[in-house]
Amino acid sequence: MDLGESVGMSLSAIRGHKLRSGLTVLGVVIGITAVITFVTLGGSLQAGLVGDLGGEGASNVNVWSSPTEVSGPPGAGAQPVFTDRDVRELDRQQDVRQVVARGTVRLSTVSDGNDTVALQQATAYGRSYFAPDDLREGRSFRQGADEAVLNPAAAALFEDELRAGDTLTLALEDGREVDVRVVGVLDTSTAQDPFEGFTQGPRVYLPTDPFYERVVTGPTSGDPERVYQTLFVIADGPEQVGGVRERTLTYLAEESDAATLVAPNVEFVAQTNEQLLDQVRDILDTLTAFVTGVAVISLVVGAIGIANIMLVSVTERTREIGIMKAVGARDRDVLGVFLTEAAVLGVVGAAVGTVAGLAVGYAGTVFVDLPFVVPWEWGVVAVVVGVLVGVVSGLYPAWNAARTDPIDALRYE
Amino acid sequence: MATVPETTVESAVSLRDVRRRYDRGEPVDALAGVSLDLPRGSYTAVMGPSGSGKSTLMNVVGLLDTPTDGAVTIGGTDASSLSESERARVRGAEVGFVFQTFNLMPRLTALDNVALPMVFAGVPRPERRERARRLLERVGLGDRLDHLPNELSGGQRQRVAIARALANDPAILLADEPTGNLDSATSDAVLALFDELHTEGNTVLLVTHERAVAEHAERIVHVLDGRVERVETLRR
Ligand SMILES: Nc1ncnc2c1ncn2[C@@H]1O[C@H](COP(=O)(O)OP(=O)(O)O)[C@@H](O)[C@H]1O
Ligand SMILES: [Mg+2]
Repeated sequence: MDLGESVGMSLSAIRGHKLRSGLTVLGVVIGITAVITFVTLGGSLQAGLVGDLGGEGASNVNVWSSPTEVSGPPGAGAQPVFTDRDVRELDRQQDVRQVVARGTVRLSTVSDGNDTVALQQATAYGRSYFAPDDLREGRSFRQGADEAVLNPAAAALFEDELRAGDTLTLALEDGREVDVRVVGVLDTSTAQDPFEGFTQGPRVYLPTDPFYERVVTGPTSGDPERVYQTLFVIADGPEQVGGVRERTLTYLAEESDAATLVAPNVEFVAQTNEQLLDQVRDILDTLTAFVTGVAVISLVVGAIGIANIMLVSVTERTREIGIMKAVGARDRDVLGVFLTEAAVLGVVGAAVGTVAGLAVGYAGTVFVDLPFVVPWEWGVVAVVVGVLVGVVSGLYPAWNAARTDPIDALRYE
Repeated sequence: MATVPETTVESAVSLRDVRRRYDRGEPVDALAGVSLDLPRGSYTAVMGPSGSGKSTLMNVVGLLDTPTDGAVTIGGTDASSLSESERARVRGAEVGFVFQTFNLMPRLTALDNVALPMVFAGVPRPERRERARRLLERVGLGDRLDHLPNELSGGQRQRVAIARALANDPAILLADEPTGNLDSATSDAVLALFDELHTEGNTVLLVTHERAVAEHAERIVHVLDGRVERVETLRR
């Protein structure tokens, strides 16, 4: 008896009990949905990060200070300690292409004419920072100019969506108001640097000059200087990034103003984007293990459900088993029919779970604006798992069916 | 015919001193030494009261049941030495069962029911569908190919069952009370179909407790308490 025929018979048996079959495979569906959703989101998150951090970001070293007992995302616990002199000195180090200082500017509101919305902070960069293809319109800001770049979420805060050329009024934390010209809008609301996290909130980007105003007396120069929370030290290329990281840490420890300004028990952290990616991968791996555990439990429940319903099905179809044997079915043909049916239930559950998982995962990636990556290999894994769950749970019922005595079976009411 | 003839190559089925004992609780000899030859092309009826062993005889001939003792030869094959899967193969190839309760697969169409024995015999799909179609036409159901059993009348279901029994061109058709669940007009039509199949050269063994039904055959084997009581040859 060929497989096609068994599958055909299985499908007609399953169609005969749609609701029952549906409920039976629910455990498998839930397990597979959970895993596929998660690997879709995880894969998309990684792809997004690699896109953000991997390409040109591969030459970056992210630098901040962190209390020794704090561990967390990049920038956690960072204090403003890096002076303009530190930026200039690091810029002069071997293999360093440039250093970008980063700080946050505290705001209370932003207004477009009478249209005012609350916004707590803007991000200030020490360079023009954005490249032309980061922007859907306009250009990046210039240092020393009253200019701002918005992400699409920020542009859309206002009733008249802001465009390059519009004027925006920033109300600073201390009550002062400054007008800035919007010179560009980014093409995506995803994070623009590793310190922003992965949310999609509205963001306003400004040049540090003139907007970033945290100033100390420089320990070396004796003059007022800006102090920043975080720096990007950008190497000439990805091959140099390791050396640059080493030299950055050495400079910070031995010669920097930051070393003087920093509080006790605070250390400098210099992290390459590769290290950051590794960290994210570690977290994802841990979460994947957890979700897989949940899924395994759900699959075991699903397998028990399938085994149970197959036992019921074998009993209900005792007479059919007798008929099959009377017309020439061998024990192993009967075994095959019921095993196939269990496997088909498993595969249907896995397929539904995969589609549901992809759909939820897709919705998730749209929601957080990540690239959608289809985890093909996991789709294959899901189907294989579905077959396995079906076959394993179908073995005992199918064996029961195969050894049914045809004479008893034909008499069975 | 008073004596049972010796086994010849011409026999579709032959039984030699076949015994079948059931050991559940009080032992019952459902068959207590039966010898019987069914020549190719013959039409034999088995009559006897309820519990006399008719169905057991059917099942033994059809290789559904294994005798406790004695020899069964079917289509030239000695069944006693066969493994389970070989018995299933011979059963599928050489025996066509027709039951009182029709025993069709409820979720398969008439066509698929008739094709089922050919599925297990490994006949390719296009071939078995074509043959199933011709067999259904042969029993007068050419216009009911895609109907499910519950969409057919009792008489139609029994015709589907007969077409299915013919699927692998078996050495023998075994019918256990095939008219037991049918009204008299439908019974007559089904019996007429058996008559035709016999005329066409099929070997038929039909179990019944009704004299009128048994008289369609060429001879009647009377069984009682698991033995052949007498064999009556009919003249027409
Ligand atoms: N599976 C079985 N287990 C125990 N006894 C059986 C079984 N099948 C038949 N018998 C017994 O064997 C005898 C013959 O049964 P059966 O062949 O069904 O008779 P018939 O078909 O002539 O009515 C009866 O006494 C019956 O009770
Ligand atoms: Mg009987």
